[in-house]
Amino acid sequence: MDEKQPQLTGKDQWVVFKRLLSYLKPHKKVIAIALLLLILTVAGDILGPYLIKTYMDDFLTPRNFPTGPLVGLALGYIFIQIGNVIVSYFQLLTFQKLALKIIQQMRIDVFTKVHKLGMRYFDKTPAGSIVSRVTNDTEAIKDMFVSVLVGFVQSGFLVVGVYIAMFILNVKLALITTILLPILAVIILTYRKYSSVVYQDLRERLSQLNAKLAESLQGMTMIQAFRQEDRLQDEFNEINDSHWNAGKRNIKLDSLLLRPAIDLVYALAIIMVLSYFGVTSMNNIVEVGVIYAFVTYIDRFFEPINQVMQRLSIFQQAIVAASRVFKLLDEKDLAPNQQNIETAKIEKGKIEFQNITFSYDGKTDVLKNISFTAEPGQTVALVGHTGSGKSSIINLLMRFYEFEQGDIKIDGHSVKDFKSEEMREKVGLVLQDPFMFYGDIESNIRLHAKEMSDTEVREAAEFVQASNFIEKLPNGYQQKVTERGSTFSSGQRQLVAFARTIATNPKILVLDEATANIDTETEVAIQSSLEKMRRGRTTIAIAHRLSTIQDAELILVLHHGEIVERGTHQELLNHKGLYHKMYLLQNNVVEDIA
Amino acid sequence: MKVFLDLGWFFKERKKQYLIGILMLLVVAFLQLLPPKIIGYVVDEIHQQTLTTAVLVKWLGVLALASIGMYILRYYWRIMIFGSSIFLARKLRENLFRHFTKMSPSFYQKKRVGDLMAHATNDLSAVQQTAGAGVLTLVDSLATGGFVIAAMAITINWKLTLIALLPLPIMAILTSYYGKLLHQRFRFAQEAFSNLNDKSQESISGVKVIKTFGQEKEDTEDFVQLSQEVVEKNIRVAKVDALFDPTISLIVGICFFLSIVFGTRYILAGEMSIGDLFAFTSYLGLLVWPMLAFGWLFNIVERGRASYDRIQNLMDEKIEIDDRTDAVDVKPEGDIHFQLEEFKFPGDDRAALQHVNFTIKRGQTLGIVGKTGSGKTAILKLLMREFEGYTGKIMYGEYAIDMYKKRSLREAIGYVPQDHFLFSTTVAGNIAFANAGATMAAVEEAAKLAYIHEDILQFTNGYNTVVGERGVSLSGGQKQRISIARALMMNPELLILDDSLSAVDAKTEEAILEALKAKRSDETTIITSHRLSAIQHAHQIIVMNEGTIVEKGSHEQLMDLQGIYYEMYQLQQLESLVEQGGES
Repeated sequence: MDEKQPQLTGKDQWVVFKRLLSYLKPHKKVIAIALLLLILTVAGDILGPYLIKTYMDDFLTPRNFPTGPLVGLALGYIFIQIGNVIVSYFQLLTFQKLALKIIQQMRIDVFTKVHKLGMRYFDKTPAGSIVSRVTNDTEAIKDMFVSVLVGFVQSGFLVVGVYIAMFILNVKLALITTILLPILAVIILTYRKYSSVVYQDLRERLSQLNAKLAESLQGMTMIQAFRQEDRLQDEFNEINDSHWNAGKRNIKLDSLLLRPAIDLVYALAIIMVLSYFGVTSMNNIVEVGVIYAFVTYIDRFFEPINQVMQRLSIFQQAIVAASRVFKLLDEKDLAPNQQNIETAKIEKGKIEFQNITFSYDGKTDVLKNISFTAEPGQTVALVGHTGSGKSSIINLLMRFYEFEQGDIKIDGHSVKDFKSEEMREKVGLVLQDPFMFYGDIESNIRLHAKEMSDTEVREAAEFVQASNFIEKLPNGYQQKVTERGSTFSSGQRQLVAFARTIATNPKILVLDEATANIDTETEVAIQSSLEKMRRGRTTIAIAHRLSTIQDAELILVLHHGEIVERGTHQELLNHKGLYHKMYLLQNNVVEDIA
Repeated sequence: MKVFLDLGWFFKERKKQYLIGILMLLVVAFLQLLPPKIIGYVVDEIHQQTLTTAVLVKWLGVLALASIGMYILRYYWRIMIFGSSIFLARKLRENLFRHFTKMSPSFYQKKRVGDLMAHATNDLSAVQQTAGAGVLTLVDSLATGGFVIAAMAITINWKLTLIALLPLPIMAILTSYYGKLLHQRFRFAQEAFSNLNDKSQESISGVKVIKTFGQEKEDTEDFVQLSQEVVEKNIRVAKVDALFDPTISLIVGICFFLSIVFGTRYILAGEMSIGDLFAFTSYLGLLVWPMLAFGWLFNIVERGRASYDRIQNLMDEKIEIDDRTDAVDVKPEGDIHFQLEEFKFPGDDRAALQHVNFTIKRGQTLGIVGKTGSGKTAILKLLMREFEGYTGKIMYGEYAIDMYKKRSLREAIGYVPQDHFLFSTTVAGNIAFANAGATMAAVEEAAKLAYIHEDILQFTNGYNTVVGERGVSLSGGQKQRISIARALMMNPELLILDDSLSAVDAKTEEAILEALKAKRSDETTIITSHRLSAIQHAHQIIVMNEGTIVEKGSHEQLMDLQGIYYEMYQLQQLESLVEQGGES
């Protein structure tokens, strides 16, 4: 809502517009059909008045009513009317479908792209704004396709059709009325020129207004505490006033150049037609039907023009939205590339970190020269306070971020070599905050692995002892999971996440232990499940509670991105260093500290 | 239509604009009748070959004048009516804002900012629509419809009018039926859209899990399916939506056909001329809009009413804590006697505070420590009168705090909150928030006291650097220190630091505390903190636990006691050692 509007020059807009049009390419056939239908409806629109003209001139004026031809004419008129109704229905529908299909494609493109982006992009972009790209912005573009583009094409065809008919009826008058075209063009161009400024200004003021309001609401306690209500009210009023003034300007511009102006040109057209026929009639006989036809054509001609002009602002918005969508589609922050070497397989699960140095922003190193080895089946625990680099180690191992210095090897191959399927299959990660998807318990364990049998799902749940709580649920495995699983405790969510990971039977287990409060009963289940899960698997675990990793083969103590202590629990305790202090702290043992 | 009554006060206020606007609308509706008539006259003259230049010039002159007149009137009624509607929006927005500034913190605890924003944006624009497009549609459709039918019946032929208009009610019925159908289907389409939205939201929030399990492809397939659903539901909408135009043109076509057929009879019978038939068919065209307009009108009015009610409900919210009628208008000064029996937050059964008694002498510093939820912040909120409804007495100087005017009380208190909220203006503007006219020297002095001056000079534009989303991103510690400088600018009688040194390092904390001590020897200071180092030099320390004071005294006294405070102190020493990497 309060995202900054990118400023686009005329050239930028044109580039964006052309790119939007390129989405039409795959639909050439449908477009051809829709255009054909459109031509038919335009032809119907043109033919109707022509028949009435014929009736007036050939039958009504001479007061001659032969039944046969008259019935023919009437039937013709009715046929055209009904035919036109049917054709125009399908024509409208086809264009709508086309727009919907195009937008669907665009949405899929954006969504696919989102999945190709690296974690870096998600770090710097708020989730809400990415969602906005996928849904709201594309919706704005849809409005443009449906109401503006179709309107443009329709008016274009109608203008051409009307002119053809007018030229057939009376070349001279048709030529005279061509003067309407430059007049209308000037009005439309002038309107577009000023409205893009005025309308943009209005949008800008509105977003300022909303930003001010949102900020004031968030900071209201501060405003009140410092007694600045009056000043803030004044500041708000000022923006409110300038928004109002921008609104007035907008109304003035719309009133000057939209409907009232077009209606004025319409009157001019009628005056032209009447004076032409009037003057002609003084010396020659004028067929009344021709006047009728001209007047009706002029009527038909102006309606779509009015509609399109009312919708020019939609066009403006769509271009802005499209430029944001395209910016995401062109985003370069992709997920790390894999070499996809076929022979690289994970069989034993030996993990080696070799001199890894890493930085998120290219400035401060969060990992400095990290080296360690986890032999197959071993557990390596990472401990350290917030910001010490524990999570970064996991992020690199999981290939969420690309690294340049040093290497990480699994069974002798660099993690960059494996096909991503191999990595995903053999390396299982349990996140600190276990994310639950909308659906049910079963779908949350199975995720998208359709080949997994129900038994396998249940076995996985039993293995991690999640089955105890699941079976107590009213609907068991079919129990609904609402948004983010908010109805489950964090311990239960953790157990489901365990089951999810175990179900894929990974060779390597990566654990980010939950820090959230977990009730004792679940805590016991979690601890014994963890123990079971680690058996026979190489495990890299981030431990917040030191008690959970006392049996680890190797404990690495991290501080400011460096490994400051390493060894087993007992060795580290004997060393009486940082680990020892952390241990005391967690057990609330206050000793005399020197 | 009740909403028009509800908005009566506004229409009264803008009586002139609305009356003139509506009058203009009526004149335009009347002038609209002219062009078809004139076409009819001229055609008759042409048909009978009696047209003279004078007559042609006369009619075309009238047509030209009427058109220019209509252009001017159409321009001005828009200014009058639409102008008034945005004036209403401005006014409501201003009132709403004023109301917001008066609401107590408990109001902001109950309501979400997002909802309040929605009232101030969506609801407001719906009301604006009602006062603008709503009024226009009501007046114009009635006027145009009435005038045109009258013109057809009176000036041309009432029998033909009756016949030709027969199909029009069918159009009204059909379009309102479509409208209902559209409404239903549109809801399904909205639902599908919101499912798609939820799905995107979920995928993006859960992107790590999806990447971990390598399910990007499957997830995209899900998305494709949902997007297909959106397409299908929208096609169902389009199927109804596409009915409108053809139906209208079919019915109008039938009306035309009837007019021509029966018109011919009346022409032959000599009851009307061929020019009349011209005028008649043009009038038919003018009737389409009023027929459709009524459907619109109900929509606009319905939305407008619901929105106006929501805004009104918001405006009716009572100001919970207000000045007493006998409130004194002096700035509080002196000792603080806090004698509280019991306090519960509104809507909570548990007592947030129980038996909390302490006294702070003017010029002294009080430290409050305790775990989250132990009642530290509740004490501060009561002192600032953000909440009431406690048993006991809180005295500040001569009077109980509820005897002071709210403004006077706040004038005495400089508050630095936990969640350091800065406004998106310059650093200087943030520091001088309470005192917008302060000199640069005063701003710098406050910044120096809060140990943020040096940092500010490092920013690209120094004190003129803009803070916030589009400006520089500050660290938590910098924000806290700017908040402190902001409170110091007031030179407050009572300075409250609500755990507001948590993000600054130990050295800076000490420097700030030293500076405060030196500068504020005559004024009172209250500091709450998790970290004991922030309060250990206070004259008096209270230790809170579960809403009550468990230990009270100076640092030395509390250490000697070897109770909770002592234990906390030892653990924190250890903790800071761990944070520093174990090197003592």
